[in-house]
Amino acid sequence: MKRKRDYQALDSLDTVYGYYIQMTLGKFLVRRILQGVFVIWGVITIMFGLRAVSPGDPANLMLAEGATQALVEQVREEEGLNEPIYVQYFDYLQGMVVGDFGYSWQSNREVEAMVIERIPATIELAVAATIVAIVIAIPLGVISATRRNQPSDYGATLFSLLGISTPNFWLGLMLILILGVWAGLFPTGRRPVGFGPAVLTLAQTGSPSDIFTWLKYIALPAITLGTYFTALITRLTRSGMVDELGKPYVTASQAKGLPAVLVRYKHVLRNTMIPILTVLGLQIGTLMGGAVITETVFNWPGLGLRLIDALDARDWPLMQGIVVFIAIAFVSINIVVDALYAYLNPQVSDE
Amino acid sequence: MTEDVLRVNDLSTRFFTTEGQVNAVSNLDLRIERGEIFGIVGESGSGKSVTARSVMNLIESPGEITSGEIWYRNRDLVEDVEGDYPDAVDGEFVDLLALSDDVRRSLRGTSFSMIFQDPESSFNPTLTVGEQLAEAVEVQRRASANPRSTRARTREYSLGNYLLSTVLPSQRYVSEASHERAIELLELVGIPDPVERADEYPHEYSGGMLQRAMIAQALAGEPDLLIADEPTTALDVTIQAQILDLLDELQAETGMTILLITHNLGVIARMCDQVGVMYAGEIVERGTLEDVFDGHVHPYTEGLLGSVPDLERAGGRLQPIPGNVPSLLDHEMDDRCQFADRCPKAMEDCLEHPPEFDAPGSDHHEVRCVLTETEYDESRALPADYFGGKERPTADAYADPGTDIDESTGPGNPPRQPVDEPGGDRP
Repeated sequence: MKRKRDYQALDSLDTVYGYYIQMTLGKFLVRRILQGVFVIWGVITIMFGLRAVSPGDPANLMLAEGATQALVEQVREEEGLNEPIYVQYFDYLQGMVVGDFGYSWQSNREVEAMVIERIPATIELAVAATIVAIVIAIPLGVISATRRNQPSDYGATLFSLLGISTPNFWLGLMLILILGVWAGLFPTGRRPVGFGPAVLTLAQTGSPSDIFTWLKYIALPAITLGTYFTALITRLTRSGMVDELGKPYVTASQAKGLPAVLVRYKHVLRNTMIPILTVLGLQIGTLMGGAVITETVFNWPGLGLRLIDALDARDWPLMQGIVVFIAIAFVSINIVVDALYAYLNPQVSDE
Repeated sequence: MTEDVLRVNDLSTRFFTTEGQVNAVSNLDLRIERGEIFGIVGESGSGKSVTARSVMNLIESPGEITSGEIWYRNRDLVEDVEGDYPDAVDGEFVDLLALSDDVRRSLRGTSFSMIFQDPESSFNPTLTVGEQLAEAVEVQRRASANPRSTRARTREYSLGNYLLSTVLPSQRYVSEASHERAIELLELVGIPDPVERADEYPHEYSGGMLQRAMIAQALAGEPDLLIADEPTTALDVTIQAQILDLLDELQAETGMTILLITHNLGVIARMCDQVGVMYAGEIVERGTLEDVFDGHVHPYTEGLLGSVPDLERAGGRLQPIPGNVPSLLDHEMDDRCQFADRCPKAMEDCLEHPPEFDAPGSDHHEVRCVLTETEYDESRALPADYFGGKERPTADAYADPGTDIDESTGPGNPPRQPVDEPGGDRP
């Protein structure tokens, strides 16, 4: 199946999916997982290489300023920094395979713990941004496509153009300034409570106040992060739907007397959703690691913020831990999306 | 004993494109009797499909029905709409163009249904064939649940209903009974293993099977009028014959009326009781099959028949009609006989737009050509280069069009389309 779309990246996707038609779903998944392992290994290796070529002695970074030469020498010995580079690499790789990412140089805490404690906030933000995007973008795209060249269509098109071209950091700052500071509608600063604890409070005490607090704090970051995404999905929905509406099966469904709602949603939107879901999934993968700017602007305690901190401090183990986690998340989500695509499109999963 | 089921008067359908107004159908008159097969034949772009879609109310922006009446005989409908649309009712007839879109939509599937040219793209690729047939059945079931209330029928299945149905199976549009009926319909049109086939997707069907399924879908609502728009064009020749047989059988069984649209005169000769020949958005000649095939008057009909391969005359040259299908852009059309520039018998009289004349033959025989009443007079013939030269054949060139072909395919003249080319009209 070949669809014509005005979103260029999807064309290449289609070529790839065209190839998948030849394979069964099982084979396809095994293949994708192997590819994913290879990608993650590549990320690990590149990170190691960057650390190896970057200037500065790690032992100095680990120690307080003014440490004696003997102490530095001792740390180098303990950390294996005097070993040949390939020995260091295999040690490091071995640690990764068994899930030992080492200790943060800065805080001397375990990297795994430092990564894991930040995952919920990042996922919350990614999911919230995706929900914002879906809830706004799909109806907007549908309206736009079904009232083509009418004022509502122009409005939606303008909105998506602005959404795609507005930089995240600027939008975030403006939202904080206007809605947070001037209007006082939303709180600013670090959130006091996460989603997990808030639900726990609700379960234990029956008080939803923590949930409301959580919602108030996540609203602006989610809108900021979701705006680009919303704009993208609006455009995809519109163009996909315009494309589908011109197809003969739409006329055929109308000819058999089907209510317009069913023609529009059960038939047309369903077919439009197949490519959109693909993009949606890929974007969630991007959001997992791509929220660095938004998290920094809103001081959101997620992985992105921790990554920036790690970069500032040249805390290599932490940086590596975060980057590897993002790579794993991205690859896994991609595999799930591919499987979902095959499930939704009977022509792909057909053996 | 026969009665008209559909009378189309003075129908004009225009498309308002950026290049200008396209007169896809102009002042078209049509009468279709109950139980007959009425064929419309013409070249690609002559307005056949647009006519069909105008009846179905499937004309979409930038297209618009700008004038005319479509009278449909249905006593029940008369009773339903009398109150709301007194002007639309005349005896047993209702003028469809005077009704609202909602009422007209309620007639689709139940009064009129349609078979399309390309079965493979006329089914939704992501829903099973059984589901899509069941939808058509459901439309009919819901309509017959309120037989006397068009108003109830037009009440839309709302977005809320649809959203609910995604969570609650009981709110689904298509009922279990409709699914069962869909399987019966598949069996009716000769699909083996209908129970299993109903759960398959369109891409798992062959073209011929899908066309059968589409016929089943069109029959689901037991329509008064089945419009078949190039039903065999996309199919292999052997399959074409099977599909035509099937239509024939079903028509004999149910006595339904069929409006058959095709560019294939063979199909017309085999299937139809009455024929309308379309050219440039007009019906130029209509009448019974005998009127059109044996007693035709219009030089275009003559040309069409001359361009069909004939085994008995094998060895003789085919006689394609020289020139191209004319532009239907309003500003490029003159108020003359639209065929005059390709007509070997064009005369000065043809510079005025001809009305429909009664022609010899049956009562139904009507021809839009001055030759019906006037003999061809060479002294009044238009000079060969009257319409800008090479387009129009002289009587000699018509007999041997070989030389004229190359010249007319110059820049600005798209390659000529032979009448019996595969592929039909796409609006």
